Amino acid sequence: MRIPRLLPTLFATLMLAPALAAPRGDATSAGAAILARFDAALRGDVGALDNLLADDLDYCTFRGDCQTKAQYLGEVKSGRLKYVAIDPAVSKVKLFDDSAVVTGLANVTAIRDGEEHTIHISWAGVLAWRDDRWQMTTWTSTLLERPAPIKPTK
Amino acid sequence: MKTRCTTLSAGLLLMAALLSGACLAKDNTRESSLRAAELARFAANVAADGPALEKLLDANLEYSHSNGKLDSRSSFIASLADGSLDYHGMEPDIQSLRIFGDVGVIRGFAKVRVSMRGTTSEFTIGYTDIWLWKDGRWQMTEWRSARMPDAPAK
Repeated sequence: MRIPRLLPTLFATLMLAPALAAPRGDATSAGAAILARFDAALRGDVGALDNLLADDLDYCTFRGDCQTKAQYLGEVKSGRLKYVAIDPAVSKVKLFDDSAVVTGLANVTAIRDGEEHTIHISWAGVLAWRDDRWQMTTWTSTLLERPAPIKPTK
Repeated sequence: MKTRCTTLSAGLLLMAALLSGACLAKDNTRESSLRAAELARFAANVAADGPALEKLLDANLEYSHSNGKLDSRSSFIASLADGSLDYHGMEPDIQSLRIFGDVGVIRGFAKVRVSMRGTTSEFTIGYTDIWLWKDGRWQMTEWRSARMPDAPAK
């Protein structure tokens, strides 16, 4: 009779143990993950991007079209999309238990299909805390009327 | 002993089933309520329904229009109230709806007919919006959109 009485406690302990043991992401690390993504993109570091982007990434550009992770990485890997300069700034991080919404601005210069363009965007990324790290699941941006007020890093 | 083990296993399975069932039901309910909130928000835009938008939009809303103009919740509702922004019609076509904990992400297209400072235009946008589950309801916290190139302004 003792075992059934202990069942709820045992079950609750089993359910809570992984959550208590696992490290959690915070607002600072969420912002850092987004900035690391910009840096990896600028360097064309597909390995780092693979780690920072979730497998179910929905990458929606300022043109209104969306790509999967494989499509986006394919563009970077093939050189069809090459970043020349990215000056990003994180504006806000809205943190939840296992997700975060990070927003900001960026001035981006990139070569796509051999043509160089400079754009100014307002962006938002949704991060999910998976496998003990932040992974970007959603990216979306809108073109700004004028350059974002960001001090260039280079 | 065998009976006790069987009872223990059955108990654990039942609790797991109940918990996962409750989670699934919660997700389905949240998904339905998110979809409903999205449609209600588009309707409230067209109706210029300030009180409805106050409930549907997060206090920290960042609304990036497809023309690059940035609005807060208060400036967006004010522009609808004073008529400088007048949506005559918005027909959303939801492409995907995903939930990450307390964050919901919707991607879609919308046919928009709008007057801005007296100039009326009609176009299709690709949009992504991000919602937060706060105070027992969904509230939109981010909006990013782009005019689709294959549907130029008429």
